[in-house]
Amino acid sequence: MKQVININFHGQVVPIETSAFDMLKSYTDSLNRFFAQEEGKEEIINDIETRIAELFQERLKKGATCITDDDVQAIINSMGRPEDFETEEPTNTQEQSKASHAATEPITSEGPKRLYRNENDKILGGVCSGLANYFGIDPVIVRVLFAVITIAFGAGVLAYIILWIAVPSTAQTQIGGAQKKLFRDPDDKIIAGVSSGLGNYFGVNPWIARVLFLLPFMTFIFQGSNWGIDDAGDFIRVSFSPGSLLLYIILWIVIPEAATTSEKLAMKGEKVDLNSIKNSVMEELKGVQSRAEKFGKEAQKVAEEKGQQLGADVNQFAKRSSTSLGDIIVIIFKVFGYFIVGVVAFALVVALFSLAVVAVGIFPAKAFLLTDGWQNAYAWGTLIFFIGVPVVGIITWIIRRLTKQKRYSRFLALTFSSLWIIGWLSVVLLVSSVSRDFKSFNTLSEQEVPLANPTVGKLEITANEPGKHIYRTKFLRFEPFEGLDEDTLLVKNVEVKILKSTNDSFRVTRIVRTNGRTRRFADTLAAEINYNVRQLDSMLLLDRGIAITRENKFRNQRVIITIYVPVGKQIRVDRSIGWAHNVRFGGIFNESEWDVQFEDEEDGWRADRDYIMRADGLYTLDGRKANRWEDDDEARVRVKPGRIEVEENGKKVIIDQNGVEVKPVDGGTYRYQPGTVAPSAPTAPAAPTNEVNERERIKDSIRKEKEKLEQQLKQLEQKTEASPEAVSTLLMHVRTPFHIL
Amino acid sequence: MNIENTASQMRKGVLEFCILSVIKQGEAYPSDIIEKMKAANLNIFEGTLYPLLTRLKNAELLTYRWIESNSGPPRKYFSLTEKGAAFYTELEATWNELANAVKALTENEQPNH
Repeated sequence: MKQVININFHGQVVPIETSAFDMLKSYTDSLNRFFAQEEGKEEIINDIETRIAELFQERLKKGATCITDDDVQAIINSMGRPEDFETEEPTNTQEQSKASHAATEPITSEGPKRLYRNENDKILGGVCSGLANYFGIDPVIVRVLFAVITIAFGAGVLAYIILWIAVPSTAQTQIGGAQKKLFRDPDDKIIAGVSSGLGNYFGVNPWIARVLFLLPFMTFIFQGSNWGIDDAGDFIRVSFSPGSLLLYIILWIVIPEAATTSEKLAMKGEKVDLNSIKNSVMEELKGVQSRAEKFGKEAQKVAEEKGQQLGADVNQFAKRSSTSLGDIIVIIFKVFGYFIVGVVAFALVVALFSLAVVAVGIFPAKAFLLTDGWQNAYAWGTLIFFIGVPVVGIITWIIRRLTKQKRYSRFLALTFSSLWIIGWLSVVLLVSSVSRDFKSFNTLSEQEVPLANPTVGKLEITANEPGKHIYRTKFLRFEPFEGLDEDTLLVKNVEVKILKSTNDSFRVTRIVRTNGRTRRFADTLAAEINYNVRQLDSMLLLDRGIAITRENKFRNQRVIITIYVPVGKQIRVDRSIGWAHNVRFGGIFNESEWDVQFEDEEDGWRADRDYIMRADGLYTLDGRKANRWEDDDEARVRVKPGRIEVEENGKKVIIDQNGVEVKPVDGGTYRYQPGTVAPSAPTAPAAPTNEVNERERIKDSIRKEKEKLEQQLKQLEQKTEASPEAVSTLLMHVRTPFHIL
Repeated sequence: MNIENTASQMRKGVLEFCILSVIKQGEAYPSDIIEKMKAANLNIFEGTLYPLLTRLKNAELLTYRWIESNSGPPRKYFSLTEKGAAFYTELEATWNELANAVKALTENEQPNH
């Protein structure tokens, strides 16, 4: 007893036994695989299927009630199986046997490895074990890697899903393709049939897939600012906001369209049942047998050929041994060349991807930079075509490489490159348009900031509302663009300069700089900058940044606050202000011929540290010259032949044959003579009253130095690089003066 | 060297020539071609024939038209194009040369044997 179904096969209604149908389908699938790389594949398969349909019709006309297994078997025998074609594969009209060899090679079952999902060892979709199989490593390692990537970046899940869909299952080869395949459905499509194909594959209504693709888009449209990579690990948003479009495009490219009837049948799919498994296993076994035989023959042939070739090579090599060195050098150069090219290519790809991430992250700031209209269009063009297209292209290329698909590649290359040209156009237009907006500078003026109490002894510079530190708890933050919200962008372009005041009170000035399309425009923009500075007792409160609105746009606005400190008074700059973050578009944008230059020498101060102004500049409270680059309290010890120098806390200790000499880094000298009392030390000119303290400090530091030096000397002795006498004299010189202290 | 391989290579070489010569005799339907070749004792699978026809068609040596059939879907009837005819004459000349050469060589060989 057998079940009979009606199928529509090339316009003919054919009653067929289910088992015969399965056989037929696995046959057409095998043809599909065989002709996969053939030009005109659709036509060939169509012809064959039409012929089969005709043969069915003949049988039915003769009075058969339905098509049976035997009928299908007979038809298959007369049409021939792909294994039969291989031995008979005729050559192409123009190319000779060589080309045909190359053409048939990838189709043979002993061809190169393909990436499959492993149905025999799977946890979810067999992606990991398939990858492991392909690269010849333990699936556990791949699984762990996937887990780590997922936890760390959240992208692992996305990658897994894409691979799950894009990579064919081993079931398609092992179980004769009776399983469903993922195709795009051309009969029920809105854009490209991706959703309906997915619906078919997973056995759900295509509208479910459509809504899943659309839903995030709608939220994106409503929220407006939902672009980009948001919270860490929140991969759903990554994958479904602009990601859903990206995913759709990738799926569109990767999934083939169901063009032929057999593909459509494969798309709708039938459940795997015992019968089809039996059939395909039988077929498979047959295939294995013939493959094994063929492999034996081929291996023999290859071995013979290689043997002969090797002999010939050795002969040639012996003849040409004089040039062999040159050859080797050439080979080495080639290897290096490929290596370098590979590294550069890899770096470019990485750079491109990070550019994409940055571009998506920075995109919300677009409204603050670009004027509406054309510039906006260019920006979108840049994002989609200049950055998005190569990213999608590379992902597609990699997937196609891994799954060894070769269809449509020329079409794809053409599409991608033409889209990329549009991208380049957008970039050029965007850059030229934006740079025009940055062409001019505003008129420069230094405004006095009124201080409530300019005669305080110490001024602390801190940010307005220092307690309210605004953080975006987002995965990607672009520090200088702090506090981005709906319509205000806070740019931390605040520069603090500390100079010496000419009188005995503090003075603060403000300079506002901005670019603009014209000088006039820049002036209006500068007038609109609302940057507050106010004094509260000993504190000087500065705004955190310059607020830029959507209307004003960002045109390199920055504020330079200059603080004039009277001699003898102290100053401290909070970390919340610190050195300015410099957010600005430079290079081609700045065609301006001049910028702010300070003639007075400016001191390199550091944030969160107290400084005192002296006649010759800014000093730390312990008497060192302000130096932005200097390391903290680290003594520097230099050992030279016959001489040791130690620099710490603004003092320099030099130990040589003349004894120990201590001097401030900038001038003034003490010399400790053995056996004499140290002369009263004139220290730094500004602090004669601190003499006693100063001496104590020096004693203390010298004591420390002594310990260090003794260690150094011990090392020296051990090394015995310096002559023993020199070391002992040094030792004597060093030890004597310390006894006095 | 194995005989099977050599034989199949030889057959491959002349297959196109054979197909073209069948079609040259008049518009032909693929299964007609198979029948005629079978009659001449040259057995090929239909599955081999279709890709060959497609390739020859794509090389513009063949063209086809659809003819309605009363026993199923419409059929493709193939005929030679001008280019195909020229190609055929060239092939024919080559074949004749080859056949003569082979004949001469094999006949010469026999007396020596």
